[in-house]
Amino acid sequence: MTHGILIYAHNTRAVDYALMAVISAGLAKKHLSMPVSLVTDDSTISWMKQSQTFDIANTVFENIITVDRPVTDNQRRLNDGETSSTVPFINVNRDSAWSLTPYDRTLLIDSDFLIFSDVLNKYWHTDCDLLIGESINDINSQDRMKYLDRHISDTGVKLYWATTIMFTKNQNTRLFFDTVNHVKENYRHYADVFRFDHRQFRNDIAFSVSKHILDGYVESNLGTLPPILSALDRDILYSVDNRRLTFLIDHKLDNNYCAASISGVDIHIMNKQSIIRNQQQLLELI
Amino acid sequence: MNFGYLLIVSHSDTVDYLQLAYGLALSIKNTQKPGYDKVALVIDDKEKVEQLKSPWVFDHIISWDEQTFWNGRSWMDQLSPFEHTVCLDVDMLFTRDYSHWIDYFVENCDLYVANKVYTYRGDVATNRNYRKTFDANQLPDLYSMWTFFRKDATITKDFFDLGRYIIQYPVEFTNIFLTAYKPKIMGTDEAFALAAQILDIADDIAYPLEFPRVVHMKPLLQNWPWPADTWSDHVGFYLNKHGRLKIGNYQQNDIVHYVEKNKIDRELIHILEEIAWKR
Repeated sequence: MTHGILIYAHNTRAVDYALMAVISAGLAKKHLSMPVSLVTDDSTISWMKQSQTFDIANTVFENIITVDRPVTDNQRRLNDGETSSTVPFINVNRDSAWSLTPYDRTLLIDSDFLIFSDVLNKYWHTDCDLLIGESINDINSQDRMKYLDRHISDTGVKLYWATTIMFTKNQNTRLFFDTVNHVKENYRHYADVFRFDHRQFRNDIAFSVSKHILDGYVESNLGTLPPILSALDRDILYSVDNRRLTFLIDHKLDNNYCAASISGVDIHIMNKQSIIRNQQQLLELI
Repeated sequence: MNFGYLLIVSHSDTVDYLQLAYGLALSIKNTQKPGYDKVALVIDDKEKVEQLKSPWVFDHIISWDEQTFWNGRSWMDQLSPFEHTVCLDVDMLFTRDYSHWIDYFVENCDLYVANKVYTYRGDVATNRNYRKTFDANQLPDLYSMWTFFRKDATITKDFFDLGRYIIQYPVEFTNIFLTAYKPKIMGTDEAFALAAQILDIADDIAYPLEFPRVVHMKPLLQNWPWPADTWSDHVGFYLNKHGRLKIGNYQQNDIVHYVEKNKIDRELIHILEEIAWKR
């Protein structure tokens, strides 16, 4: 059985997802010792060539899989510390991972998830076809996590985090990814049924609803990856010094910052621009 | 084994408790294995039962009108025709076979009272808004809506004798034992908890177990991020023709204590009757 990691990257005018994918892939490859493949589109590849990241990408990725650039008017509010802007967000083709992955068992990660440990290597051989991030652990404290960080809506089901997903390519997981696609295609309907906000498509919600449906409309403790240590997009990755990452944490979400640092643990950095600002130091780590 | 469920109802001008008990008895017949599906009804007007389409769901009908409501339920040990009994609130529905729970209690217990409840999502309910008397007075957290007892056990007699006495003299017991926070009404939950505390048997009759699992639909217990007056304003209640119950997006597999009495209407009763008739 072949094992490998898959990352999606579709650049927008605001965020260089391809560069983030290169960093994320390089770190994942280094710490998990697994091959990594990229799913991207022609325009993103053109930018990679223009911005000199394509050569690095060719050394980091085992495969670069080109797909049509998804058409979406999805937008999101993205913070960068104290500032914020509304930016386009291309995330609507994650359900194609089942058919695109070149591996028998795949770890699907977001491009803003940086791996600094081998913790996820423990899950390659578990007797579970599909595993998904159980929750997020705030880098500061769980006090900043609100109800809607744990549930898809006020009365809805538990929110899982599609930042990390591991699956074996078989008929069970095909059904799962088909269900994700079905939820995506009928997002307004499921928003009515599950009472979530339909205005922005979220993979986390589509995956959570699909898991809930296929688990028989009950909560299940089965099929979860460890909680995802996360720095919010209001936090700032301040510096990268060897393997130590130092953040400025907006610990009360009131624009008053304190410092925190981590070393040797996997981290989901929601502030994409601060990854980009530290690209040089992060690329030196891969 | 002589085991059965005991339901106690009395006349009310506002709620048809017999209909609720009928719905519960139908759901018991529809889900429990033979030998675990016996139901005894205690009622103050026996003739009303004859008006039901399927009065046979009640294996025993006991006419009794000496007490009403909580006062009546505190007599459960003397009213039950069974050797082993689970006395239930009537605003509940069974959703699957729970006979394995009964096997455990018959084997291991003389008396056991439910001591935690769950949300419709399957989480343990943590809100303490309805339990101020219990917390302030450090009472054991008993929920009398699911009470198991062996009829001829000494502990059963001691416990219910004292529980009845507490309900009979609520002011006196409140003024002596519940001074930290006085309950508005001395219900069976409070009376049983106080009886367990006075007899020092809380650890014997309410030790931690993963069952019985009862979903308690009091709105503030649902671990929602805001207070709610009625849960049905926020999530739906769906019983399909196979008797499978969903609340919101959650399939219910535990005993559901639905609280809102209007949930048991003619349509729902008809679904339960059809399933019972086809069994």
